[in-house]
This record gives sequence, structure tokens and C-alpha cells, in this order.
Amino acid sequence: MTRRDFIHKWFIYALGLVPIWLLDACILPRYPLWGSVPMLLPLAAAAVSVLEGAYSGAGFGLAVGLLWELAYPGGFGGLVFYMALAGMVMGAVSQYALNQSFLGCLICAAGALGLLELLRMARILLIHGADLSQLLQVAVPELLWSLIWSPLVWLLFRAIHSHVGGTKLA
Amino acid sequence: MKDFLRQNGILLLVIALLLSVLIGIVSTVLGGRADPLSDLVNTVTTPVKGGISAAADWLESVYAYVFHYGEIEDELAELRAQVGKLQEEVRQGEEAIRENEQLRELLEFQTRRRELTTEPAKVIARSTSNWESTLTLSKGTSAGVEAGDCVITEMGVLVGVVSEVGLNWSTVSTVINTDTEMGGIVMRTYSAGVLEGDFALMNQGKLKMNYLPEEAQLVSGDEVLTSGRGEVFPSGLVVGRVEGVFTDPSGQTRYAVVEPAVTLDSLIEVFVIKDFEIIE
Repeated sequence: MTRRDFIHKWFIYALGLVPIWLLDACILPRYPLWGSVPMLLPLAAAAVSVLEGAYSGAGFGLAVGLLWELAYPGGFGGLVFYMALAGMVMGAVSQYALNQSFLGCLICAAGALGLLELLRMARILLIHGADLSQLLQVAVPELLWSLIWSPLVWLLFRAIHSHVGGTKLA
Repeated sequence: MKDFLRQNGILLLVIALLLSVLIGIVSTVLGGRADPLSDLVNTVTTPVKGGISAAADWLESVYAYVFHYGEIEDELAELRAQVGKLQEEVRQGEEAIRENEQLRELLEFQTRRRELTTEPAKVIARSTSNWESTLTLSKGTSAGVEAGDCVITEMGVLVGVVSEVGLNWSTVSTVINTDTEMGGIVMRTYSAGVLEGDFALMNQGKLKMNYLPEEAQLVSGDEVLTSGRGEVFPSGLVVGRVEGVFTDPSGQTRYAVVEPAVTLDSLIEVFVIKDFEIIE
């Protein structure tokens, strides 16, 4: 794969991220379901990691983490590393333990989202000393409501992968 | 490419870690001011968000006009009746103000003044996380907005406080957000307390009023205003109404649950208080 093909491929993936970001940042927060808003960016990282493998997943995860930290309010930096690491792990798990299917993507996304919720809960428990049951009331609907969007995100990146994914441009 | 990435996989993680640390340090050092990279990204994306927000607002208004026309007509009739009632109250209020001014002059009190310097702004985005309640506004440092400024509606109802500010955008931490902490006063009884956000209440769109005096006899429906204690926030801004008074699990203190007067989900335009002078 030439450098031009490489840039072309990841430019198309980045373009695929644009509608996900717009939906996540501008549209869905206007219409919360039972007070809960989904997180689509980890789903995008999961889909690309499953389709492209560990190292590409780490790179795409890094980009998603940067977008999350820079374009959303209240960033503290941790998401860049978390998403890069999650992308690498999800890619490796799908390569060696699962397969490159929607089910694999769903399991990886559930794992990444679940761990993120646990980290957030731990942080809030330490800082605010909030009640665990209250935190679970926020975390569980958010996790489930986010996973409901995974087929849409998977289909979008699956379509991109079928055109430019892997070494198709090589 | 695989070899390249295989060799550089760990390098990617190191880069990610360094970026994380850099963003963390810069955002901590700058406090309420957005870090340069966030500012750049948000400055570029703010017009896009504004466009999408305007389009969504327009579609919602068309939907309401088409499918809720009857409700709009009923609301209009109700508002007309309210306007008539309010006009009568304004007449009575003007008379009371004149009388108050005369009495102040007689007693040689300083004239009561309330001057707010405001900046109108559009709400271009809402909280993207369930762990916080924020709004993104279309104005930033270029319009004189600063972190810590209060944000109100056109009716003087408190929306929140600017928590982060960039060139042409700012983030508002709303009254129900968990980091909210400001002095509040119950209008009817003049009982002072501390208004605080709470995780359990945030998702219900409510907040707490803690540290209530033991003798405070609050009832449901009592109006809560900002007390202005500490002179960080203006006094007299409407926060909401008491929904109920409860005793905390330890049984030591009481708190009130306050339902905000502002409807955060349907806000389109707000006003940032850039400066204020209040003489009571």
C-alpha cells in the first residue's frame, strides 16, 4: 500500500466519523431517552478496531480520543490514552479470540463502554463520594442506550471497510 | 503498512499517553480558559454546531406548528390572560416603587440599583454526557465572556455559570450540574441555604438546597433566589421552586429539593451576565 493509498483509506474512515460525531454531539443530546444520552464515539472506535486490527485500532482510537477530548466540554486528557489502548485491545481480541463480525464488535464495544463507565464511577466515588446505586442509575442506561446504536455504527464502518478497508487499495 | 504499524503500535500508545498528560496539565493550568487545541477545534466546529442547532430548532418549530397547533393556541390564550394579570401587577408595582423611592429619600437611604451588563448568546449544543449537565453557547472571549459569569434567560431565571470559555464559544455548567454550589435564599421565609447539584437529582432535572436553618418552615412551591453571598453571583436571580423538604439519611440536617424555573431542554437563547452592580 502506497502512502497515498494509506492517506486515502484513513481519510475515508475520518469522513465516516463525521456523521457519527454530529449525531453524538449535536443531535442525540437534544432528545434524551429516559434522561439518557448515548455515547457513539467508543462504538466507532470498536467497529474500526474489529475491522482493521490491533494497531490500526490503536491509531483510530487515538484519533477518536483526541476528538472526544478537544471537541467536547470538560476534557481532562485521559480519554486519548484510554481510547488508543481500548482500540489496540479490541483489535487484538477480535483478531485472536473473536471474529470480524457484528457480534465481535458488540462484545468489544460493551467491554470498552463498560470499563469506561467503571472508571468514571470510581472517579466520582473518590471525588464526590456519591452513592453507588445513584451512579449505577446513570451508568447502566447509558451503556445499554449506547449499545443500541452499535448496528448503525457497525454498518457505516463495514460499508467503508468493504471499499477501502484492509489492503484493498494496495 | 502492517510492519509499519506493528513497529509503531507501542509508539502510538506512548504518543497517546503523552497527549493525555499534556491535555491534562494544560487544562489544569488554564483553569476556566480552554486549552489552545480545544479552543482551535471548537472555534472551527462552533459554526457547524450552530447551523445544525438552528436547523433542528426550525424543524422542531415546524413539527410543533403542524402537530401541536391546538396546544399552541391554548397556550397563547393562557399567555394573553397572564399578560393582562401581569400588566395589573406592573401598575401596582410601579406605584410601590414610587412609594419606596420616596421613603428611601425620606430616610436618606442609598437608591436601590440593579444593573446587569449582559451578552445575548445562542445555545448551540447540550450535554453529551449523562455525568454532567452543560450547555455550549455561541459566544466566548471575543464577546467579553469569562469563566464564572452567570447565565440567565430573558426572564432573569438562572441557567448556570460559564465553566470554560474559548474564542467564539463557552460551556455553561447548568444549575443542576453536580459541581454547582451557590448561595440561595427562600423568598417567603428569607431562609438561606446552599444550592448544590446532586447525581440522583440531576437526571430528574432538579437540585438540592442544603444547610437549611432548623427553624426554616419551607413549603412546596416556595420561590428560591440566588442570595448573592460572596458577591460572585448577582442576588435575586430566580433559581426555582421548592418541591419538598427532606431529612438526610444521617437524620442530622434537612435539605430541600428545588425544581429549577428554567426548562433546560428547550432553551434557545440566553444572556451572559458580564458585569453587575446591585445596591440593595
